[in-house]
Amino acid sequence: MLQRTNNMSPSSPSAWRTPTLILVCGCIILTLSMGIRHTGGLFLQPMTGALGWNREVFSFAFAIQNLVWGLGSPFAGAFADRYGAGRVIVASALLYAVGLALMAVSSTGLALDLSAGVLVGLGLSGTTFAVIMGVIGRHTTPEKRSLALGIASAGGSFGQFAVLPIGQALISSFGWQAALFLLACGVGLIAPLAYAMADGHKHASGAGQSAGAALVEAGGQRSFHYLFWSYFVCGFQTAFIMLHLPSFAVDSGFSANVGMTGIALIGLFNIFGSFLFGWAGGKGSKKNLLMLIYGARVVVIGAFMLAPLSVASIWIFSACMGLLWLATVPLTNGLIAQVFGLRFMSMLAGIVFLGHQLGSFLGAWLGGMIFDKTGSYDLAWLLSIGLSVIAAILCWPIDERPVQRAEPKPAGA
Amino acid sequence: MARHWRWFFWGVGAALAAALLVLIFLGYQAPELLLDLANLRYCG
Repeated sequence: MLQRTNNMSPSSPSAWRTPTLILVCGCIILTLSMGIRHTGGLFLQPMTGALGWNREVFSFAFAIQNLVWGLGSPFAGAFADRYGAGRVIVASALLYAVGLALMAVSSTGLALDLSAGVLVGLGLSGTTFAVIMGVIGRHTTPEKRSLALGIASAGGSFGQFAVLPIGQALISSFGWQAALFLLACGVGLIAPLAYAMADGHKHASGAGQSAGAALVEAGGQRSFHYLFWSYFVCGFQTAFIMLHLPSFAVDSGFSANVGMTGIALIGLFNIFGSFLFGWAGGKGSKKNLLMLIYGARVVVIGAFMLAPLSVASIWIFSACMGLLWLATVPLTNGLIAQVFGLRFMSMLAGIVFLGHQLGSFLGAWLGGMIFDKTGSYDLAWLLSIGLSVIAAILCWPIDERPVQRAEPKPAGA
Repeated sequence: MARHWRWFFWGVGAALAAALLVLIFLGYQAPELLLDLANLRYCG
């Protein structure tokens, strides 16, 4: 299916570590890590009820988790680029599992902040897109890379869609504490899969470059800043919609079922969107596709605001947004590989992902604050449209050509 | 493997995958998930 790249060779001579196997293992890792993380909110009611906390205690821990996830991603990526992704994934999976297990026995807000917030956040940094996409990117040919990143992204999307009802079933069947331990065991499955992800990072293109030089180089390129800020907008929109759409539907007089089906439709169409745009990124300009995505979000959100609100409009909106949801992931990561090379792809992808998480934090927080101040989400929807216009404009001048580096001088010259 | 068998197995795989997605989609209509809708606000 996929061929090994010709600009690198694996660090291990083992022939079994094929690009297809790496892609499959990467997809399963993303399914587990993204999916299990997605169930976190399901524990709000049982945990706050059992421990006598208010919702702020719980939501603060998850805000910390999102920030630590974003802040940890560049470091996890840099470690993966330096020491190999396999070790980083194993260590992160361990932190993730221990964080979930400690969350089950947390009796204070501080303990929850450290377990569900810091440990799980760190675990996510090393088991999600930045690190996994780096390995997959390094093991696929430029022609197949975008498609492979799209398939991996679809794996993460599938996890978000599939694990949520499973998490609820575990809580209903075994109680929230046992459910957390079982989910920690699920995270543990990532560790053996990481063996396939131990890649030959040192042989990738740009091998003569140091991490610091790669940072300076990326920081000096306007395209990198455009990618960071457009990803910020993506995070803002997805966090706002995911957190506030169910409430928006209920506040508008619809049953809980309508909002829930909307969330399910986003999850379902997200799988197809991630794959579709990943595939399209291998055929045409990635920055044009990113412009298309952000432009389409303007149209979809605008139409949703203007059209009479109904069950059908909520579901159509959800399906359309689902198609555009994580579709930015393979394109953004693919552009980083294309422009800056593969050697420090994980670190640079981690930095851009930090922008996504800062946007997520603001989207979730501002959505609630705007509702509390104005009594409606109208301003938040308008803000989403405005930011999407800016993101589409930012993608326009992105230079997709690989950066030109001076050839290293031969020894003795 | 003969071509028609390859198509057959791809078809079976695609049908199973579609059935799995429909089952998960139906899982979202479970009463426990609907009751805990408020919790989902913290799943983003």
